[in-house]
Amino acid sequence: MGEVILTMKGIDKSFPGVHALDHVDLELRRGEVHALMGENGAGKSTLMKVLTGIYTKDSGTITYEGKEVEFHNTHEAQEAGIVIVHQELNMVGDLTVAQNIFIGREFKKGIMIDDKKMIRESQKLFEELKIDIDPKAKMSDLTVGKQQMCEIAKAISHKAKVIIFDEPSAALTEKEIADLFNIIRDLRAQNLGIIYISHRMDEIKVITDRVTVMRDGGYVGTLITKDCTKEDIINMMVGRVIYETPKTQSAVPADAPVVLKVEHLNAGRMVQDVSFELRKGEILGFSGLMGAGRTETARALFGADPKTSGDIYINGQKVTINSPEDAVKHGIGYLSEDRKRYGIVVQKSITENSTMATMEEFMSGFLINKGKEKKVTEKYIEELATKTPSADQLVVNLSGGNQQKVVIAKWLVRNCDILIFDEPTRGIDVGAKNEIYKLMNRLTKEGKSIIMISSEMTEILRMSDRIVVMCEGKKTGEIPIEEATQEAIMDKATRDIQ
Amino acid sequence: MTKKKSVFSQELIIAILVIAIYLFIRWRNASFGNYNTLLNILDISYYYVLMGIGVTFPLITGGVDLSIGTGMICYALAGGYLIRFSGVPVWAAMLITVLFGVAIGAVNGTLISIMGLPPFLATLCTCMITRGLGSVCSGSFAIPWPTDTDPTGNGWFHSIFKTTINNDSGLYGALKGSVGALFPMDKRLTFIKAPLGFVWIILLLLLMQFILSHTKFGRYTIAIGSNKEATMLSGVNVKFYHVMAYVVCGLFAGLAAIAYAAYTPTVQPGTGAGMELDAIGGAIVGGVSTTGGYGTIYGTVLGVYVIMLLKNGLPFMGLNANWQQVITGTVLIVAVLIDIIKRRAMKK
Amino acid sequence: MEKIKQIPIVKKLGFNRIVLFAIMILMYIIFCATIPGFFGPGRIMSILNYAYFLGFLALGVTFVIATGGIDFSIGPVMFCCALMAGYTFGTYHIPMVLAMLMSVAIGFLFGLFNGFMVSFIGIPPFIISMASMNIAKGIASVYTKTQSVQWPQSASDGGWFRNIVKVGGFPVGLVVFICVVVILYIILNGTKAGRYILCLGSNREAVRLSGVNVKKWMMLAYVICGTLVGIAALYYVAAYTTVQPGSGDQYNNEAIASCVMGGTSMVGGLASIGGTVLGTFIISLLQEGILAYRLGKDIQLIITGLIVIVFVYLDVSARRRKS
Repeated sequence: MGEVILTMKGIDKSFPGVHALDHVDLELRRGEVHALMGENGAGKSTLMKVLTGIYTKDSGTITYEGKEVEFHNTHEAQEAGIVIVHQELNMVGDLTVAQNIFIGREFKKGIMIDDKKMIRESQKLFEELKIDIDPKAKMSDLTVGKQQMCEIAKAISHKAKVIIFDEPSAALTEKEIADLFNIIRDLRAQNLGIIYISHRMDEIKVITDRVTVMRDGGYVGTLITKDCTKEDIINMMVGRVIYETPKTQSAVPADAPVVLKVEHLNAGRMVQDVSFELRKGEILGFSGLMGAGRTETARALFGADPKTSGDIYINGQKVTINSPEDAVKHGIGYLSEDRKRYGIVVQKSITENSTMATMEEFMSGFLINKGKEKKVTEKYIEELATKTPSADQLVVNLSGGNQQKVVIAKWLVRNCDILIFDEPTRGIDVGAKNEIYKLMNRLTKEGKSIIMISSEMTEILRMSDRIVVMCEGKKTGEIPIEEATQEAIMDKATRDIQ
Repeated sequence: MTKKKSVFSQELIIAILVIAIYLFIRWRNASFGNYNTLLNILDISYYYVLMGIGVTFPLITGGVDLSIGTGMICYALAGGYLIRFSGVPVWAAMLITVLFGVAIGAVNGTLISIMGLPPFLATLCTCMITRGLGSVCSGSFAIPWPTDTDPTGNGWFHSIFKTTINNDSGLYGALKGSVGALFPMDKRLTFIKAPLGFVWIILLLLLMQFILSHTKFGRYTIAIGSNKEATMLSGVNVKFYHVMAYVVCGLFAGLAAIAYAAYTPTVQPGTGAGMELDAIGGAIVGGVSTTGGYGTIYGTVLGVYVIMLLKNGLPFMGLNANWQQVITGTVLIVAVLIDIIKRRAMKK
Repeated sequence: MEKIKQIPIVKKLGFNRIVLFAIMILMYIIFCATIPGFFGPGRIMSILNYAYFLGFLALGVTFVIATGGIDFSIGPVMFCCALMAGYTFGTYHIPMVLAMLMSVAIGFLFGLFNGFMVSFIGIPPFIISMASMNIAKGIASVYTKTQSVQWPQSASDGGWFRNIVKVGGFPVGLVVFICVVVILYIILNGTKAGRYILCLGSNREAVRLSGVNVKKWMMLAYVICGTLVGIAALYYVAAYTTVQPGSGDQYNNEAIASCVMGGTSMVGGLASIGGTVLGTFIISLLQEGILAYRLGKDIQLIITGLIVIVFVYLDVSARRRKS
């Protein structure tokens, strides 16, 4: 590690109603890979947005190469040598790879853009990074992993001194992650400062030199990676030791009836010949890496996306599900991973959201019986302990955990027997998380069956009675909870990746 | 690589379609094969093609400009009024006509890019406003621009679009000869009118296609339509280039106004609504994506000619001229359907 | 300001709507004070005549905008209904009742077509609007051979249809209008259809994933709109008798202006029937005032254009501030 290149001190930032950053400090040295960790909503992304000029800070100082700086937009930050590789891909799909890498700073020949030079330069960059991508290919034709590599190439081509990686590995395969780490090591050897944001603890241990932990918008501390353990970091992130004991035994009797049977489900590249059974009162965990096809399987099962083939049996009866309408009729409910886009109508009230799937129950003739609607909604607000002043509150004003409860209420009002929980605790704080877990256990006791898709290993091991593992669109294993270990799941989740 | 090929072939199909439609109608009704019929279609087409080239830019950004039709009339009224009643020289009036278009384009761009209004709504409003403004400018009177036989010589601007060749030597003679060969119907071609406007169209087409594919402005227009957020995060001044797309569109609506003034004996206030549809429809027929991110100028020009041939050719096949509007509407729907099917196929 | 908004009665009626109402009254007072002879039942009747047909158009398009869509074929479609039904009546001497039904049916069919294309096929609403606008104009021109169409005068055969506006001095039209407004209010706020239309305008995917057939409900909004356009056509000819082929565009903007003034959001999900009605009356009053000032239709086009821009901008910037 070299001398300090970047210091952020006492950074403070408020949004209406939220104190997003509360006097956060960060120090980065040349030739260092510095991890920035924290739970969802801890403020990591906000801090990086302040650094790169997307947000302006309320107070605090940023010292870069010995001078105090303030960037007003990403362009200024780039000019100064600070670039960010975004978590969401920021690529222009209709342009080529080379055009994307040099967008905003095209080489020119007179008034013309010099596309040939851009292609040559891109080629050089890729050679340097030892990756094989055609600079003339259209960006939207590349795989997600390759797009990510282009994003990295773009960042490097800025003659950057500081590169921020915002969860770069989320969409990558093992092989691509290995490539990525090689690139990062090269960059470190060239004395660049690297900020690495990730949730994957094992990656942090492998690649980073120091770790700064944030919690609830505040700075918790900085550790030297090789001197600390996983548990140290986790404790700093959550502020306490997690007492999450894995389930040791399935709570479902062996003779419990099969409520849902899926056979040879196919839907595009991401769902290939998937078969499984779900028993009454069971929580069936779906594990796998990002992009393994779990959400796609759930959506195809639910009729949200078209499927090419496959049979679905509910309580032994073969059923046709071509739309969510069909699925709901057959008693299936789906909690999407992306609550805001697919789960709730944020500009509408809790009542309107809760009864959306069950309108027929609340009709008196042509009119909606608003009294009954309200009564039922209030019952579920109480039962699920949703924190809200009233049932008329707009969902947009609720916290993530409470919004999730509204979605759950929607399916409970409908009295669905089969529930698909897709990443049920994503973006939800620890307290609300535990409530959701308790609720899931209660539901299964009442005889409902749950398919739970989760990317958190602890969640899978804690909640599931049985675990289905997927990898690249195929089911690669099924493990009873009694035999499940992190290693066993990981082994199957990476089975097809060479 | 294979994809690029298929995109190329789409514009190729349209080009073949243009020729096929022309030959088909000519085959069904020989009088369609007159040189003057073709000249007439070309004459009508100039202002539609100019509007089409312009509106391609907003369309590629994922927007639209509905104000080009009424706008064109408004600028032509303003320019004509200045020539008629204020004694402004024709060249200056033409310049003002074009600048008027640029100004309205800038207004559209500001409303959409800076104030964040939905494009179709903002331009629907400017469509109505320019229609009103046109009447205000002309005092609600129909305004004739000088005719090509105007005794003051003010009609010179007609020769931009159509010039008389009465010379048998050199290039002119060759041109005349080839016209005679291609149009055996017209036996007594002692002099011909050459569609000079078509040459300008070709030049503008090449220029704008060059701008679209080889300059920053063109590159960013495509980028905005494809992924605005990403373009902004790349440090591109998205707002400026987004406004510019509408300014260029306005500029071409201004040029179209001159072409319209040269075509029509009088410019009527209160007209123009619906003309934008042929231009936009042409662009979409020519492969410009309705969701933005893709489009070519030559595709648009070819697309406009598909519509022009259908509209002007169908009366030759015994169909009531009033069907023209129905045809445009239907062609637009078909073109969008093809676009939708294409996108669905690509997803797979 | 914030305090005023919290008073129960203000909250119930909606602050924006109270402001609109005040603006309307103020406009009326200003017109009465500055234009001799503006005050009186004659002008009121004239304003109402305009408000009926514009109101039906605006109420119809409110449903479409609530789904997050747009329909600016309504003006030309209204003319198409009036032209085709009127021409059929005049040429083939069908009973007046049938002619009236025909007008509504044509509006209904256009609504069905637009709705089907938007929700089932996925064509962007503004493109289908453009196409329908031209198809409506074209079909009407072809059918009527580009002639303007006269609907019968009160005394002549079939002239009884004018009773839908008034009988003697009694404003039947107002009663019908109020009834339709009440029905539409109930549909939008009290029925499953209204609930789904508003919700899908706000977040279509979430509603679909709740097991709702969103395509059906979305199409319904366009069908409601089309049917109301067919009714609007009858009120137009009952007031103005003559229809010219090839026009009707300006009413699109006036109807959309009425909606956005009344607080219906262009992004979808938020709509107010009461607001649209107030917006309609303001636009009608404005057009009468402009007429009385002898300013001409052009000025009105410009003013309504500006109104839409201002109100949509207010809506857009309010949303931006929230998020």
